[in-house]
Amino acid sequence: MSLLELGGVHTYYGDSHILEGVDLAVEEGEVVALAGRNGVGKTTTLRTILQLTPPREGSITFRDESLVGLETHEVAARGLGWIPEDRRIFGQLTVEENLRAAIPNPDDVSDGLRLAFDSFPILEERRGQEGGTLSGGQQQMLAIARGLVGDNDLLLVDEPSEGLAPQIVADVAEALATASEDVTMLLVEQNLPLALDLADRFYILDKGRVVDGGDTAAVTADDERFRRYLSA
Amino acid sequence: MILEALAEFLTLSELGGVIVNGLAKSALYVMIASGLTLIFGLMGVLNFAHGSLTMVGAYLGGLLMVVTVTGGTAPLTRLGLFFVAIVVVFALLTVLGGAIETTIIRPLYDRPPIYQILLTFGLTLVIEEVVRIVLGIYDLQPLSDWQAALATKPQFLREPVALGPVSAGWMSLFQILLGTITVVGIWAFLTKTRYGLYIRAGSEDTEMASALGIDVRQVFTVVFALGIGLAGAAGTLLMWDPTWGASVPLAAETLLPAFIVVIVGGLGTFRGTVVAALVVGMADAVTTWWFQNAIQFTGLPELVLFLVLVVTLIVRPQGLFGVEEVGGH
Repeated sequence: MSLLELGGVHTYYGDSHILEGVDLAVEEGEVVALAGRNGVGKTTTLRTILQLTPPREGSITFRDESLVGLETHEVAARGLGWIPEDRRIFGQLTVEENLRAAIPNPDDVSDGLRLAFDSFPILEERRGQEGGTLSGGQQQMLAIARGLVGDNDLLLVDEPSEGLAPQIVADVAEALATASEDVTMLLVEQNLPLALDLADRFYILDKGRVVDGGDTAAVTADDERFRRYLSA
Repeated sequence: MILEALAEFLTLSELGGVIVNGLAKSALYVMIASGLTLIFGLMGVLNFAHGSLTMVGAYLGGLLMVVTVTGGTAPLTRLGLFFVAIVVVFALLTVLGGAIETTIIRPLYDRPPIYQILLTFGLTLVIEEVVRIVLGIYDLQPLSDWQAALATKPQFLREPVALGPVSAGWMSLFQILLGTITVVGIWAFLTKTRYGLYIRAGSEDTEMASALGIDVRQVFTVVFALGIGLAGAAGTLLMWDPTWGASVPLAAETLLPAFIVVIVGGLGTFRGTVVAALVVGMADAVTTWWFQNAIQFTGLPELVLFLVLVVTLIVRPQGLFGVEEVGGH
Protein backbone atom coordinates (compact mmCIF):
# COMPACT_ATOMS: atom_id res chain seq x y z
CA MET A 1 0.00 0.00 0.00
CA SER A 2 1.39 3.41 -1.03
CA LEU A 3 1.38 6.41 1.27
CA LEU A 4 -0.44 8.46 -1.37
CA GLU A 5 -2.28 7.15 -4.39
CA LEU A 6 -4.13 8.99 -7.14
CA GLY A 7 -6.29 6.95 -9.49
CA GLY A 8 -8.00 8.38 -12.58
CA VAL A 9 -8.24 11.89 -11.16
CA HIS A 10 -10.12 14.43 -13.26
CA THR A 11 -10.13 18.06 -12.16
CA TYR A 12 -11.76 21.09 -13.79
CA TYR A 13 -11.57 24.85 -13.41
CA GLY A 14 -15.09 25.74 -14.45
CA ASP A 15 -15.45 24.12 -17.88
CA SER A 16 -11.68 23.75 -18.40
CA HIS A 17 -10.63 20.13 -18.06
CA ILE A 18 -7.19 20.33 -16.39
CA LEU A 19 -6.41 16.85 -15.04
CA GLU A 20 -7.59 14.15 -17.43
CA GLY A 21 -7.13 10.99 -15.42
CA VAL A 22 -3.97 11.35 -13.35
CA ASP A 23 -2.57 8.16 -11.80
CA LEU A 24 0.41 8.26 -9.48
CA ALA A 25 1.69 6.86 -6.22
CA VAL A 26 4.12 8.02 -3.57
CA GLU A 27 5.72 5.51 -1.22
CA GLU A 28 6.63 6.29 2.37
CA GLY A 29 10.11 7.81 2.74
CA GLU A 30 10.71 8.70 -0.90
CA VAL A 31 10.90 11.95 -2.83
CA VAL A 32 8.88 11.90 -6.04
CA ALA A 33 9.32 14.63 -8.64
CA LEU A 34 6.45 15.73 -10.83
CA ALA A 35 7.83 17.29 -14.01
CA GLY A 36 6.18 18.88 -17.02
CA ARG A 37 5.82 22.08 -19.01
CA ASN A 38 3.96 25.11 -17.67
CA GLY A 39 0.21 24.61 -17.66
CA VAL A 40 0.09 20.81 -17.83
CA GLY A 41 -1.52 20.50 -14.38
CA LYS A 42 1.34 20.05 -11.89
CA THR A 43 0.13 22.68 -9.41
CA THR A 44 -3.46 21.58 -9.98
CA THR A 45 -2.45 18.05 -9.00
CA LEU A 46 -1.17 19.33 -5.64
CA ARG A 47 -4.27 21.52 -5.17
CA THR A 48 -6.47 18.54 -5.98
CA ILE A 49 -4.74 16.34 -3.41
CA LEU A 50 -5.32 19.07 -0.78
CA GLN A 51 -8.97 19.40 -1.89
CA LEU A 52 -8.40 23.08 -2.60
CA THR A 53 -9.64 22.25 -6.10
CA PRO A 54 -11.58 19.02 -5.52
CA PRO A 55 -11.66 16.40 -8.29
CA ARG A 56 -14.85 15.59 -10.17
CA GLU A 57 -13.78 12.00 -10.73
CA GLY A 58 -11.17 9.60 -9.44
CA SER A 59 -9.75 8.48 -6.14
CA ILE A 60 -7.14 10.02 -3.85
CA THR A 61 -6.07 7.96 -0.85
CA PHE A 62 -3.59 8.76 1.90
CA ARG A 63 -2.65 5.86 4.16
CA ASP A 64 -5.49 4.00 2.47
CA GLU A 65 -8.06 6.61 3.53
CA SER A 66 -9.93 8.59 0.87
CA LEU A 67 -9.25 12.33 0.88
CA VAL A 68 -11.99 13.12 -1.65
CA GLY A 69 -14.77 15.14 -0.08
CA LEU A 70 -12.78 16.21 2.96
CA GLU A 71 -12.23 19.87 3.80
CA THR A 72 -8.69 21.14 3.21
CA HIS A 73 -8.03 21.57 6.94
CA GLU A 74 -9.09 17.96 7.47
CA VAL A 75 -6.63 16.84 4.78
CA ALA A 76 -3.90 18.88 6.48
CA ALA A 77 -4.79 17.33 9.83
CA ARG A 78 -4.04 13.90 8.37
CA GLY A 79 -0.41 14.93 7.89
CA LEU A 80 -0.20 16.57 4.46
CA GLY A 81 1.77 19.81 4.31
CA TRP A 82 1.93 22.31 1.44
CA ILE A 83 4.82 24.52 0.41
CA PRO A 84 3.10 26.51 -2.33
CA GLU A 85 4.51 27.93 -5.53
CA ASP A 86 4.34 31.58 -4.49
CA ARG A 87 5.29 30.90 -0.85
CA ARG A 88 2.02 32.35 0.51
CA ILE A 89 3.69 33.78 3.62
CA PHE A 90 1.33 35.65 5.93
CA GLY A 91 2.88 39.05 5.24
CA GLN A 92 1.48 40.84 8.28
CA LEU A 93 2.40 38.07 10.72
CA THR A 94 5.89 37.86 12.15
CA VAL A 95 8.21 35.01 11.24
CA GLU A 96 7.47 33.37 14.58
CA GLU A 97 3.72 33.81 14.16
CA ASN A 98 3.90 32.26 10.67
CA LEU A 99 5.55 29.24 12.23
CA ARG A 100 3.19 29.09 15.22
CA ALA A 101 0.20 29.08 12.85
CA ALA A 102 1.61 25.93 11.26
CA ILE A 103 2.10 23.98 14.50
CA PRO A 104 -1.14 22.14 15.24
CA ASN A 105 -0.50 21.23 18.88
CA PRO A 106 0.23 24.14 21.26
CA ASP A 107 2.41 21.83 23.36
CA ASP A 108 4.73 21.37 20.36
CA VAL A 109 5.41 25.06 19.75
CA SER A 110 8.83 25.16 21.45
CA ASP A 111 10.07 22.05 19.66
CA GLY A 112 8.65 23.27 16.35
CA LEU A 113 10.31 26.66 16.61
CA ARG A 114 13.60 25.01 17.58
CA LEU A 115 13.41 22.74 14.53
CA ALA A 116 12.70 25.69 12.22
CA PHE A 117 15.46 27.86 13.68
CA ASP A 118 17.99 25.04 13.62
CA SER A 119 17.15 24.38 9.96
CA PHE A 120 17.24 28.06 9.00
CA PRO A 121 19.20 30.15 11.54
CA ILE A 122 18.38 33.36 9.65
CA LEU A 123 14.74 32.89 10.66
CA GLU A 124 15.68 33.05 14.34
CA GLU A 125 17.43 36.36 13.70
CA ARG A 126 14.26 37.63 11.99
CA ARG A 127 11.71 35.98 14.27
CA GLY A 128 10.03 39.28 15.16
CA GLN A 129 10.05 40.64 11.62
CA GLU A 130 6.86 40.68 9.51
CA GLY A 131 6.89 37.95 6.87
CA GLY A 132 6.08 40.40 4.08
CA THR A 133 9.31 42.30 4.68
CA LEU A 134 11.61 39.28 4.21
CA SER A 135 13.62 38.79 1.02
CA GLY A 136 12.41 36.22 -1.52
CA GLY A 137 14.94 33.66 -0.33
CA GLN A 138 14.07 34.18 3.32
CA GLN A 139 10.38 33.86 2.50
CA GLN A 140 11.08 30.56 0.76
CA MET A 141 12.99 29.35 3.81
CA LEU A 142 10.06 30.37 5.99
CA ALA A 143 7.64 28.54 3.68
CA ILE A 144 9.75 25.38 3.90
CA ALA A 145 10.15 25.75 7.66
CA ARG A 146 6.38 26.11 7.97
CA GLY A 147 6.03 22.79 6.17
CA LEU A 148 8.61 21.14 8.42
CA VAL A 149 7.14 22.22 11.75
CA GLY A 150 3.65 21.03 10.86
CA ASP A 151 4.32 17.45 11.93
CA ASN A 152 3.59 16.31 8.37
CA ASP A 153 4.10 12.86 6.88
CA LEU A 154 3.95 14.09 3.30
CA LEU A 155 5.04 17.47 1.97
CA LEU A 156 3.62 18.76 -1.30
CA VAL A 157 6.35 21.11 -2.53
CA ASP A 158 5.59 23.40 -5.46
CA GLU A 159 8.42 25.10 -7.40
CA PRO A 160 10.67 25.82 -4.41
CA SER A 161 13.45 27.32 -6.56
CA GLU A 162 11.28 29.61 -8.63
CA GLY A 163 12.54 33.20 -8.77
CA LEU A 164 15.49 32.64 -6.44
CA ALA A 165 19.15 33.53 -6.96
CA PRO A 166 21.45 30.53 -7.62
CA GLN A 167 23.09 30.67 -4.18
CA ILE A 168 19.70 30.75 -2.49
CA VAL A 169 18.56 27.83 -4.67
CA ALA A 170 21.51 25.83 -3.34
CA ASP A 171 20.51 26.64 0.24
CA VAL A 172 16.91 25.69 -0.43
CA ALA A 173 17.98 22.43 -2.11
CA GLU A 174 20.14 21.58 0.88
CA ALA A 175 17.26 22.31 3.25
CA LEU A 176 14.90 20.11 1.24
CA ALA A 177 17.48 17.32 1.07
CA THR A 178 17.86 17.45 4.86
CA ALA A 179 14.08 17.54 5.32
CA SER A 180 13.62 14.57 3.01
CA GLU A 181 15.43 12.39 5.53
CA ASP A 182 12.41 12.74 7.82
CA VAL A 183 9.46 13.37 5.55
CA THR A 184 8.09 12.04 2.26
CA MET A 185 7.80 14.59 -0.56
CA LEU A 186 5.93 15.10 -3.79
CA LEU A 187 7.98 17.76 -5.52
CA VAL A 188 6.93 19.93 -8.46
CA GLU A 189 10.05 21.58 -9.87
CA GLN A 190 10.92 23.11 -13.25
CA ASN A 191 14.63 23.05 -12.40
CA LEU A 192 15.18 19.51 -13.66
CA PRO A 193 18.74 18.96 -12.37
CA LEU A 194 17.55 20.04 -8.92
CA ALA A 195 14.48 17.82 -9.09
CA LEU A 196 16.45 14.79 -10.22
CA ASP A 197 19.07 15.42 -7.57
CA LEU A 198 16.48 15.44 -4.80
CA ALA A 199 14.05 12.81 -6.06
CA ASP A 200 14.09 9.01 -5.99
CA ARG A 201 11.45 8.68 -8.68
CA PHE A 202 9.77 10.98 -11.19
CA TYR A 203 6.56 11.33 -13.16
CA ILE A 204 6.16 13.42 -16.29
CA LEU A 205 2.82 15.15 -16.69
CA ASP A 206 1.58 16.25 -20.10
CA LYS A 207 -1.85 17.61 -21.03
CA GLY A 208 -3.32 16.59 -17.69
CA ARG A 209 -2.05 12.97 -17.77
CA VAL A 210 0.98 11.12 -16.46
CA VAL A 211 2.82 10.11 -19.65
CA ASP A 212 6.09 8.76 -18.30
CA GLY A 213 7.95 8.01 -15.09
CA GLY A 214 10.64 5.95 -13.45
CA ASP A 215 13.66 5.99 -11.17
CA THR A 216 15.77 9.13 -11.26
CA ALA A 217 18.94 7.06 -10.88
CA ALA A 218 18.44 5.81 -14.43
CA VAL A 219 18.10 9.21 -16.15
CA THR A 220 19.84 12.55 -16.58
CA ALA A 221 18.33 15.96 -17.18
CA ASP A 222 19.09 15.84 -20.91
CA ASP A 223 17.43 12.46 -21.34
CA GLU A 224 15.31 12.12 -24.49
CA ARG A 225 12.20 11.46 -22.36
CA PHE A 226 12.50 14.84 -20.71
CA ARG A 227 13.36 16.64 -23.95
CA ARG A 228 10.25 15.24 -25.56
CA TYR A 229 7.88 16.49 -22.89
CA LEU A 230 9.63 19.40 -21.22
CA SER A 231 11.25 21.41 -24.03
CA ALA A 232 9.18 24.31 -25.35
CA MET B 1 -14.15 87.12 15.74
CA ILE B 2 -12.42 83.98 14.42
CA LEU B 3 -9.19 84.97 16.18
CA GLU B 4 -11.07 85.52 19.44
CA ALA B 5 -12.69 82.10 19.08
CA LEU B 6 -9.30 80.55 18.29
CA ALA B 7 -7.83 82.10 21.43
CA GLU B 8 -10.72 80.73 23.47
CA PHE B 9 -10.43 77.31 21.80
CA LEU B 10 -6.76 77.11 22.71
CA THR B 11 -7.33 77.75 26.41
CA LEU B 12 -6.61 74.71 28.57
CA SER B 13 -10.17 74.39 29.78
CA GLU B 14 -11.74 74.49 26.32
CA LEU B 15 -9.08 72.41 24.55
CA GLY B 16 -9.10 69.86 27.38
CA GLY B 17 -12.87 69.63 27.18
CA VAL B 18 -12.73 69.11 23.42
CA ILE B 19 -10.10 66.37 23.81
CA VAL B 20 -12.17 64.51 26.43
CA ASN B 21 -15.26 64.91 24.27
CA GLY B 22 -13.30 63.69 21.22
CA LEU B 23 -11.97 60.66 23.08
CA ALA B 24 -15.50 59.79 24.24
CA LYS B 25 -16.80 60.01 20.67
CA SER B 26 -13.82 57.95 19.49
CA ALA B 27 -14.61 55.32 22.12
CA LEU B 28 -18.18 55.05 20.87
CA TYR B 29 -17.05 54.89 17.25
CA VAL B 30 -14.47 52.20 17.95
CA MET B 31 -17.06 50.13 19.81
CA ILE B 32 -19.58 50.48 16.99
CA ALA B 33 -17.04 49.75 14.24
CA SER B 34 -14.90 46.97 15.77
CA GLY B 35 -17.32 44.16 15.01
CA LEU B 36 -17.81 45.40 11.48
CA THR B 37 -14.09 45.53 10.78
CA LEU B 38 -13.43 42.09 12.30
CA ILE B 39 -16.13 40.54 10.14
CA PHE B 40 -14.97 42.24 6.95
CA GLY B 41 -11.29 41.67 7.68
CA LEU B 42 -11.58 37.91 7.87
CA MET B 43 -14.66 37.10 5.87
CA GLY B 44 -14.91 39.88 3.32
CA VAL B 45 -18.55 40.25 4.32
CA LEU B 46 -19.90 43.80 4.45
CA ASN B 47 -22.52 43.34 7.15
CA PHE B 48 -25.27 45.87 6.56
CA ALA B 49 -27.21 44.38 9.48
CA HIS B 50 -24.53 45.60 11.91
CA GLY B 51 -26.44 48.77 12.85
CA SER B 52 -29.65 46.84 13.39
CA LEU B 53 -27.92 44.42 15.71
CA THR B 54 -26.43 47.38 17.61
CA MET B 55 -29.99 48.64 17.98
CA VAL B 56 -31.13 45.22 19.22
CA GLY B 57 -28.28 45.35 21.76
CA ALA B 58 -29.48 48.77 22.93
CA TYR B 59 -33.02 47.46 23.50
CA LEU B 60 -31.88 44.24 25.16
CA GLY B 61 -29.49 46.14 27.42
CA GLY B 62 -32.26 48.62 28.19
CA LEU B 63 -34.67 45.78 28.95
CA LEU B 64 -32.24 44.18 31.39
CA MET B 65 -31.69 47.49 33.13
CA VAL B 66 -35.38 48.42 33.27
CA VAL B 67 -36.23 45.00 34.71
CA THR B 68 -33.50 44.99 37.36
CA VAL B 69 -33.23 48.65 38.38
CA THR B 70 -35.78 50.30 40.63
CA GLY B 71 -35.99 53.88 41.86
CA GLY B 72 -34.14 52.94 45.02
CA THR B 73 -31.24 51.11 43.39
CA ALA B 74 -27.93 52.63 44.50
CA PRO B 75 -25.70 54.25 41.81
CA LEU B 76 -22.88 51.72 42.14
CA THR B 77 -25.37 48.84 42.00
CA ARG B 78 -26.78 50.35 38.80
CA LEU B 79 -23.27 50.51 37.41
CA GLY B 80 -22.67 46.89 38.37
CA LEU B 81 -25.95 45.83 36.77
CA PHE B 82 -24.95 47.73 33.65
CA PHE B 83 -21.74 45.71 33.36
CA VAL B 84 -23.77 42.52 33.88
CA ALA B 85 -26.14 43.72 31.14
CA ILE B 86 -23.23 44.32 28.75
CA VAL B 87 -21.92 40.81 29.37
CA VAL B 88 -25.37 39.22 28.96
CA VAL B 89 -26.13 41.18 25.79
CA PHE B 90 -22.68 40.36 24.40
CA ALA B 91 -23.33 36.65 25.09
CA LEU B 92 -26.85 36.68 23.61
CA LEU B 93 -25.81 38.57 20.47
CA THR B 94 -22.75 36.34 20.07
CA VAL B 95 -25.03 33.29 20.01
CA LEU B 96 -27.39 35.06 17.59
CA GLY B 97 -24.42 36.02 15.38
CA GLY B 98 -23.19 32.44 15.31
CA ALA B 99 -26.66 31.25 14.32
CA ILE B 100 -26.93 33.88 11.55
CA GLU B 101 -23.52 32.95 10.14
CA THR B 102 -24.10 29.22 10.06
CA THR B 103 -27.64 29.32 8.71
CA ILE B 104 -27.83 32.16 6.20
CA ILE B 105 -24.37 33.71 5.59
CA ARG B 106 -22.37 30.49 5.09
CA PRO B 107 -24.30 29.24 2.05
CA LEU B 108 -23.38 32.45 0.23
CA TYR B 109 -19.58 32.41 0.64
CA ASP B 110 -18.99 31.12 -2.86
CA ARG B 111 -21.32 33.70 -4.40
CA PRO B 112 -20.35 37.23 -5.48
CA PRO B 113 -20.28 39.85 -2.65
CA ILE B 114 -23.51 41.43 -3.85
CA TYR B 115 -25.39 38.40 -2.50
CA GLN B 116 -24.04 38.98 1.03
CA ILE B 117 -24.77 42.70 0.79
CA LEU B 118 -28.36 42.07 -0.30
CA LEU B 119 -28.81 39.39 2.34
CA THR B 120 -27.54 41.51 5.23
CA PHE B 121 -29.53 44.50 3.95
CA GLY B 122 -32.63 42.30 3.90
CA LEU B 123 -31.78 41.10 7.38
CA THR B 124 -31.76 44.73 8.53
CA LEU B 125 -35.30 45.20 7.26
CA VAL B 126 -36.47 42.01 8.97
CA ILE B 127 -34.80 42.88 12.30
CA GLU B 128 -36.17 46.42 12.34
CA GLU B 129 -39.68 45.22 11.53
CA VAL B 130 -39.56 42.57 14.24
CA VAL B 131 -38.37 45.18 16.76
CA ARG B 132 -41.19 47.53 15.71
CA ILE B 133 -43.73 44.73 16.22
CA VAL B 134 -42.35 43.89 19.66
CA LEU B 135 -42.28 47.57 20.67
CA GLY B 136 -45.86 47.89 19.45
CA ILE B 137 -46.93 45.02 21.70
CA TYR B 138 -45.47 46.85 24.71
CA ASP B 139 -46.77 50.22 23.51
CA LEU B 140 -43.31 51.77 23.14
CA GLN B 141 -42.63 54.51 20.60
CA PRO B 142 -40.07 53.12 18.10
CA LEU B 143 -38.84 56.46 16.76
CA SER B 144 -37.94 58.18 20.01
CA ASP B 145 -35.39 57.18 22.63
CA TRP B 146 -36.54 54.70 25.27
CA GLN B 147 -36.69 57.03 28.26
CA ALA B 148 -37.24 54.28 30.84
CA ALA B 149 -33.91 52.74 29.84
CA LEU B 150 -32.17 56.13 29.91
CA ALA B 151 -33.60 56.70 33.40
CA THR B 152 -31.72 53.69 34.78
CA LYS B 153 -28.46 55.60 34.41
CA PRO B 154 -27.02 56.62 37.81
CA GLN B 155 -27.31 60.29 38.61
CA PHE B 156 -23.54 60.83 38.86
CA LEU B 157 -23.12 59.86 35.19
CA ARG B 158 -25.26 62.86 34.29
CA GLU B 159 -23.03 65.27 36.16
CA PRO B 160 -19.81 67.05 35.24
CA VAL B 161 -16.49 66.38 36.87
CA ALA B 162 -13.58 68.80 37.19
CA LEU B 163 -10.23 67.51 35.93
CA GLY B 164 -8.10 70.46 36.96
CA PRO B 165 -9.24 73.34 34.78
CA VAL B 166 -11.09 70.98 32.43
CA SER B 167 -14.76 70.26 32.94
CA ALA B 168 -15.87 66.91 31.55
CA GLY B 169 -18.88 64.66 31.93
CA TRP B 170 -18.66 61.48 33.98
CA MET B 171 -20.46 59.80 31.10
CA SER B 172 -17.64 60.78 28.72
CA LEU B 173 -15.05 59.28 31.07
CA PHE B 174 -17.18 56.14 31.39
CA GLN B 175 -17.37 55.83 27.60
CA ILE B 176 -13.60 56.32 27.30
CA LEU B 177 -13.08 53.59 29.90
CA LEU B 178 -15.34 51.12 28.07
CA GLY B 179 -13.82 52.02 24.70
CA THR B 180 -10.34 51.43 26.11
CA ILE B 181 -11.39 48.09 27.62
CA THR B 182 -12.84 47.08 24.24
CA VAL B 183 -9.72 48.04 22.27
CA VAL B 184 -7.33 46.38 24.72
CA GLY B 185 -9.53 43.28 24.90
CA ILE B 186 -9.75 42.86 21.13
CA TRP B 187 -6.06 43.63 20.68
CA ALA B 188 -5.09 41.05 23.32
CA PHE B 189 -7.43 38.47 21.78
CA LEU B 190 -6.00 39.01 18.29
CA THR B 191 -2.33 39.12 19.25
CA LYS B 192 -2.01 36.99 22.38
CA THR B 193 -4.27 34.03 21.75
CA ARG B 194 -3.97 31.09 19.37
CA TYR B 195 -7.42 31.79 17.98
CA GLY B 196 -6.43 35.40 17.33
CA LEU B 197 -3.43 34.13 15.38
CA TYR B 198 -5.74 31.94 13.29
CA ILE B 199 -8.01 34.92 12.65
CA ARG B 200 -5.13 37.09 11.47
CA ALA B 201 -3.71 34.29 9.32
CA GLY B 202 -7.14 33.56 7.84
CA SER B 203 -7.78 37.23 7.11
CA GLU B 204 -4.64 37.32 4.97
CA ASP B 205 -5.00 34.04 3.10
CA THR B 206 -7.86 31.67 3.88
CA GLU B 207 -6.59 28.99 1.47
CA MET B 208 -3.12 28.86 3.01
CA ALA B 209 -4.59 28.91 6.52
CA SER B 210 -6.78 25.91 5.63
CA ALA B 211 -3.79 24.09 4.20
CA LEU B 212 -2.06 24.56 7.57
CA GLY B 213 -4.92 22.71 9.25
CA ILE B 214 -6.89 25.73 10.44
CA ASP B 215 -10.65 25.23 10.26
CA VAL B 216 -11.33 28.57 8.61
CA ARG B 217 -15.11 28.04 8.49
CA GLN B 218 -15.19 27.60 12.26
CA VAL B 219 -13.03 30.70 12.60
CA PHE B 220 -15.52 32.54 10.34
CA THR B 221 -18.37 31.55 12.66
CA VAL B 222 -16.50 32.65 15.78
CA VAL B 223 -15.49 35.98 14.24
CA PHE B 224 -18.98 36.73 12.94
CA ALA B 225 -20.46 35.80 16.32
CA LEU B 226 -17.95 37.98 18.22
CA GLY B 227 -18.49 40.85 15.78
CA ILE B 228 -22.23 40.76 16.42
CA GLY B 229 -21.61 40.41 20.16
CA LEU B 230 -19.50 43.57 20.04
CA ALA B 231 -22.27 45.36 18.14
CA GLY B 232 -24.68 44.39 20.91
CA ALA B 233 -22.31 45.55 23.65
CA ALA B 234 -21.88 48.89 21.86
CA GLY B 235 -25.66 49.19 21.66
CA THR B 236 -25.97 48.69 25.42
CA LEU B 237 -23.55 51.56 25.99
CA LEU B 238 -25.40 53.79 23.52
CA MET B 239 -28.66 53.07 25.34
CA TRP B 240 -27.38 55.26 28.21
CA ASP B 241 -26.17 58.08 25.93
CA PRO B 242 -28.84 60.78 25.51
CA THR B 243 -27.54 61.74 22.05
CA TRP B 244 -28.11 58.16 20.84
CA GLY B 245 -30.53 56.21 23.08
CA ALA B 246 -32.44 53.01 22.30
CA SER B 247 -34.66 53.61 19.28
CA VAL B 248 -35.22 51.97 15.90
CA PRO B 249 -33.42 54.78 13.97
CA LEU B 250 -30.31 53.98 16.05
CA ALA B 251 -29.65 51.22 13.47
CA ALA B 252 -29.05 53.69 10.64
CA GLU B 253 -27.49 56.30 12.93
CA THR B 254 -24.74 53.85 13.97
CA LEU B 255 -24.25 52.05 10.66
CA LEU B 256 -23.14 55.17 8.81
CA PRO B 257 -20.36 56.27 11.20
CA ALA B 258 -19.30 52.63 11.59
CA PHE B 259 -18.78 52.32 7.85
CA ILE B 260 -16.98 55.67 7.71
CA VAL B 261 -14.58 54.63 10.49
CA VAL B 262 -13.94 51.24 8.90
CA ILE B 263 -13.33 52.72 5.42
CA VAL B 264 -11.10 55.54 6.71
CA GLY B 265 -9.05 53.07 8.76
CA GLY B 266 -8.71 50.66 5.87
CA LEU B 267 -11.24 47.89 5.31
CA GLY B 268 -10.61 45.03 7.67
CA THR B 269 -7.73 46.35 9.76
CA PHE B 270 -8.39 46.64 13.48
CA ARG B 271 -5.42 48.97 14.00
CA GLY B 272 -6.79 51.20 11.24
CA THR B 273 -10.23 51.19 12.84
CA VAL B 274 -8.82 52.37 16.18
CA VAL B 275 -6.80 55.17 14.57
CA ALA B 276 -9.70 56.16 12.31
CA ALA B 277 -12.06 56.25 15.30
CA LEU B 278 -9.63 58.65 17.00
CA VAL B 279 -9.34 60.81 13.87
CA VAL B 280 -13.09 60.92 13.25
CA GLY B 281 -13.97 61.35 16.93
CA MET B 282 -11.51 64.22 17.38
CA ALA B 283 -12.56 65.87 14.12
CA ASP B 284 -16.18 65.57 15.24
CA ALA B 285 -15.43 67.08 18.67
CA VAL B 286 -13.32 69.94 17.27
CA THR B 287 -15.87 70.92 14.64
CA THR B 288 -18.71 70.55 17.13
CA TRP B 289 -16.96 73.09 19.36
CA TRP B 290 -16.35 75.47 16.47
CA PHE B 291 -19.85 75.28 15.11
CA GLN B 292 -21.38 75.74 18.55
CA ASN B 293 -19.11 78.54 19.76
CA ALA B 294 -17.86 80.44 16.74
CA ILE B 295 -20.10 79.59 13.80
CA GLN B 296 -23.72 79.12 14.73
CA PHE B 297 -24.63 76.20 12.49
CA THR B 298 -25.08 72.95 14.33
CA GLY B 299 -25.67 70.77 11.29
CA LEU B 300 -22.08 70.98 10.07
CA PRO B 301 -20.30 68.77 12.64
CA GLU B 302 -21.96 65.70 11.13
CA LEU B 303 -20.75 66.79 7.73
CA VAL B 304 -17.16 66.54 8.92
CA LEU B 305 -17.48 62.75 9.12
CA PHE B 306 -18.18 62.65 5.41
CA LEU B 307 -15.43 65.18 4.69
CA VAL B 308 -12.92 62.93 6.47
CA LEU B 309 -14.20 60.03 4.38
CA VAL B 310 -14.00 61.91 1.08
CA VAL B 311 -10.51 63.28 1.78
CA THR B 312 -9.29 59.79 2.76
CA LEU B 313 -10.73 58.19 -0.35
CA ILE B 314 -9.06 60.82 -2.55
CA VAL B 315 -5.65 60.83 -0.84
CA ARG B 316 -5.43 57.18 0.22
CA PRO B 317 -8.23 55.08 -1.26
CA GLN B 318 -7.25 51.92 0.64
CA GLY B 319 -7.62 53.80 3.96
CA LEU B 320 -5.02 54.71 6.58
CA PHE B 321 -3.83 51.15 7.24
CA GLY B 322 -5.53 49.30 4.42
CA VAL B 323 -3.92 46.74 2.18
CA GLU B 324 -4.77 46.24 -1.46
CA GLU B 325 -6.62 42.96 -0.93
CA VAL B 326 -8.28 41.65 2.18
CA GLY B 327 -10.61 38.90 3.15
CA GLY B 328 -10.39 36.83 0.00
CA HIS B 329 -11.75 33.34 0.14
